[in-house]
Amino acid sequence: MSRAWGRLTLPGKVVFTLVPLLLVLSVALVIVIAVFGGAMLDILVANVGIVRFLVAVTILLLLAPPSAFIIIYMEMKIIALMNLRLGPDRVGPWGTLLSTVHGLKVLMKEDFTPTGADRIVFTWAPIVVFMASVMGALVIPFAPGLIAQDLNVGLLYFFAVGGLSVVGLLMAGWSSYNKYSLLGGLRSAAQMISYEIPLTLSVVGLLILAGTMSLNTIVENQGPWFTDWYVFQQPLGFVIFFIAATAEANRTPFDLTEADSEIVAGFATEYSGMRFGFFFFAEYINVFIMSALLVTLFLGGWQAPFPFPELHIALDPGSLGIWLLLGIAIVPVVATLVLAAPFYLLRSSTPWWQALIAGFLLFNVLAVGAVLGIAYVNFDFVAGILWFMGKTYAFVFVFVWMRGTLPRIRIDQLMGFAWKWLLPASLVNLFVTAAAIVVVGN
Amino acid sequence: MTTDTRRPSADDPRVLLDEEIGVYEQIPPYPPRTEREAEFYTLGDGQMFINMGPQHPSTHGVLRVVLKLDGEKVVDIDPVLGYLHRGVEKLCENADYHQAICYTDPLEYISSLFCEWSPVIAFEKLLDVEVPRRAEYIRVLSAELNRIASHALFMGWFALDLGGLTPILWSFIERDEIVEMLAALTGQRMLFNYFRIGGVNGDLNHEFMSRLGFWMSRATQQIESNLTLLNENELFVRRARGLGTIDSATALRMCMTGPNLRATGLPFDVRRAHPYSIYPELDFDIPTRTEGDVLARYLLRMDEIKQSLRIIDQCLHQMPDGPIMARLPRLLRPRPGRAYAAIEGPRGQYSTYAISDGTDQPFRMRIHDPSFIHLQSVGLLMPGNLVADTMAVMASLDPIMGGVDK
Amino acid sequence: MSLIPGFGMVRGMALTLRRFFEPKVTVRYPEVKPDIPHKFRGRLQLLYDEYGTLKCETCFQCAQACPIECIDMGGIDTKGRFHVHWGAAETYGERRDESALRRSGRPVPDAAYAHFEAADLSALEAILEEHDHDPAHMLQILEATQAAYGYLPVAALKRISQTTGAWYAMIYGTASYYRHLRFEPAADERQAEALSGRRPSEAAFLSGLDTALGGGSDRRGVN
Repeated sequence: MSRAWGRLTLPGKVVFTLVPLLLVLSVALVIVIAVFGGAMLDILVANVGIVRFLVAVTILLLLAPPSAFIIIYMEMKIIALMNLRLGPDRVGPWGTLLSTVHGLKVLMKEDFTPTGADRIVFTWAPIVVFMASVMGALVIPFAPGLIAQDLNVGLLYFFAVGGLSVVGLLMAGWSSYNKYSLLGGLRSAAQMISYEIPLTLSVVGLLILAGTMSLNTIVENQGPWFTDWYVFQQPLGFVIFFIAATAEANRTPFDLTEADSEIVAGFATEYSGMRFGFFFFAEYINVFIMSALLVTLFLGGWQAPFPFPELHIALDPGSLGIWLLLGIAIVPVVATLVLAAPFYLLRSSTPWWQALIAGFLLFNVLAVGAVLGIAYVNFDFVAGILWFMGKTYAFVFVFVWMRGTLPRIRIDQLMGFAWKWLLPASLVNLFVTAAAIVVVGN
Repeated sequence: MTTDTRRPSADDPRVLLDEEIGVYEQIPPYPPRTEREAEFYTLGDGQMFINMGPQHPSTHGVLRVVLKLDGEKVVDIDPVLGYLHRGVEKLCENADYHQAICYTDPLEYISSLFCEWSPVIAFEKLLDVEVPRRAEYIRVLSAELNRIASHALFMGWFALDLGGLTPILWSFIERDEIVEMLAALTGQRMLFNYFRIGGVNGDLNHEFMSRLGFWMSRATQQIESNLTLLNENELFVRRARGLGTIDSATALRMCMTGPNLRATGLPFDVRRAHPYSIYPELDFDIPTRTEGDVLARYLLRMDEIKQSLRIIDQCLHQMPDGPIMARLPRLLRPRPGRAYAAIEGPRGQYSTYAISDGTDQPFRMRIHDPSFIHLQSVGLLMPGNLVADTMAVMASLDPIMGGVDK
Repeated sequence: MSLIPGFGMVRGMALTLRRFFEPKVTVRYPEVKPDIPHKFRGRLQLLYDEYGTLKCETCFQCAQACPIECIDMGGIDTKGRFHVHWGAAETYGERRDESALRRSGRPVPDAAYAHFEAADLSALEAILEEHDHDPAHMLQILEATQAAYGYLPVAALKRISQTTGAWYAMIYGTASYYRHLRFEPAADERQAEALSGRRPSEAAFLSGLDTALGGGSDRRGVN
């Protein structure tokens, strides 16, 4: 037995361990469901709010690292292209898997605590920062109906949770037992608290207009034409919010907390391994969430810029009967052959298998496009999520673009800018909006 | 018992910071060796030390700076040198005259040709050699190319220290093209070892000329376009203006030369003040600025790039034919005597003082390096600034640690 | 800085966006090899001919011409006499210590020369003392050494190199240039006669030449 085990390769060992385990688990699960299924379902139905919340949090936590990977890759590639470099191009097609590999590398690295650090605070700091960023996504409406929790104080909740990350950064800076970390932590505290104020005040005018704090309602207000977006009613508020959001997300030109040429890596100097990875992910999730909030508040969220003509393709595949099965069997083969034919016929040097692969890929692209098109027309949330993601990633691009262009601002200029320019400007914006409401309302 | 071993003994003056883990205050050398050290390593109320370097990301090599901070404000500064000391002067005294040039090459590794040039001129003075005119033209041509490479790199590092990611790569593109064409001329990319006593190592070749022509056709436009990224950027200009200001009297007192002195308004340039090589025949301006701050030093270097392009253009048009090496014996034995040669490097006056005792090795060779001289003024410039600006001020002086530590 | 605040930043952003679409300068290294300039001075290399033997003839001319002594030779050639090795002296184990010691001005123990016969160097010391260890008097020193020993022993050459500071390569070059200096003991007269007797025409030519030039026959047999 042990000799047979020893001969197995590593994947073999993994499979031979997992298969019996899965078998036992699934049998147990079936028994549990059969016995307690009805009662459990009742409990779940009775507490649907809590269940919905837990499921949403789990999904957001699971989706957070991949979205961070996408933004990290975007940042690497876009800044590289602006620098006239090629950027990542080795791992995966056009280097797309590089950030994933970075994530795995960070997981595998040693995770040490420096001598003199406050172990408990040091360990909890990245978790607080990461959770603070992810929790913000709970109230963001990704599409009609696709919102984790439609709070009636959604915006307030967002700012409250976003403010938590200051605590995490301060914890990291204080507990690291390093003066660079301390400077970084204190800088981040000063910066984020200062910029919370214009960030919040710039939105107050919009709240007066919208009359609600629920982000879902705010988005629904901004339709159906793009002229209804709040950016046209609150241009100053939009600019102030954009600048303050850049500072809140610690992005260039306000990335003083991790200014590598001044204080080595700021609060993250002493961190390594996955604890550093949490900081890293949190930063990029912050970018995503700040862009998402910007889009939600000012640019119509998941609303399309103009209403599409009503179009519904009524598909009822079930009515085709047996022909559906035949179609599923035949159409891909025929389409692949048809699409492969030009590759094979028009260039005599192409081998037949390459032509077949090209035809198959082309068929897949077309099929995915057709499915997406039908889904876009038939399902509101698909259209919504496409528009939402498109707008959000456009703003992520702008954040990255700014990072590729602008140098860093100094700490006194940063504070002066917040208190002397942004705060008065947001107050002016608030007064003007209120006055306009009063005048128009009367 | 175990805790007792971690405690300092009665006569150990170190400060025990944390009894639990046994961490001691590391920085002060105790007892202080000089009065200045005693003053510096005494902390006032609310002050702390921070140790930048030698492995800090932006100390331009292996400089270590101990900053005394009050919050984010720099109160005092103690630069610690010598991490890159190789004893180049002594090495040169144990090598013969040809070999000494090779040792001076990596001093300021960004602008190697200038490091060769001044000892070469000093040795030529010792030997009383007439350098062929074509060789002088080639020297000026290649050296001005190297000056552009050095200044372009300065722009990149300076922007990087202020937090800009992109200019460093754009300036590296320019530098790389220059370095590649110099490799076609000299055979090496970084430590060229091209100037010889009495001439240069090789004549201009087709590869170099074609690369140079291609680069010159687009250099002005490309550099101008690169500069718009920083010169017009409000963030950059606001940070750099009025920072690290030094007036011309103080600059003279601190022995500053080169762009750092010219940024205070004094048009002192060795190429005009004490002409050497063929510079008297060439037509170029000496840009000056009066502000004397970080921005002026940066803009002045960018102006110098344009003047260097002018010089290169003139060199190409006036290049005479002829030999590139004077006829010299292989083993050089100058008569006993002494010689001093100063040139205008990208960082300032770079000079060599050589004494010959009649053997084939220099009896004494002293190298005056502008980086080292300029670094002494950080003590004047930095106090009162913020931590974020220490690196900007230091970068604006453009020291190269290879030259500082020699 | 422009009049409108923020306009300079916008221009910078426009510039980076334009560069975003410009062709890139990166050389994808393993797939695309960069151009190496024709004159590039990389690693030194000895060439082999088509039969696989070294083309180097150990003439030491390269070592003499090199201004910074980065070419040196070491090892033993086919006749078991001279060092055939190339590259900087510091890079070879057999010459590394020697190089360091030579630079510090100390006498150099040299294992590679150990198999050469040791010579009694007291006569040589006298000669060197007489010429003040001056490498400018190399020819006189070598002639005096040959007069003292009858030929130029390798040990003597090494000693001359050490004390005068001249490179071994240069001394070897000087000595091999002048025909009257030899590296091996002269064959005795009879053997020389026999040797030239095998080639009567050459012997006759040489003797005729000698008489025509008015020289003695003492130079015969050398070379």
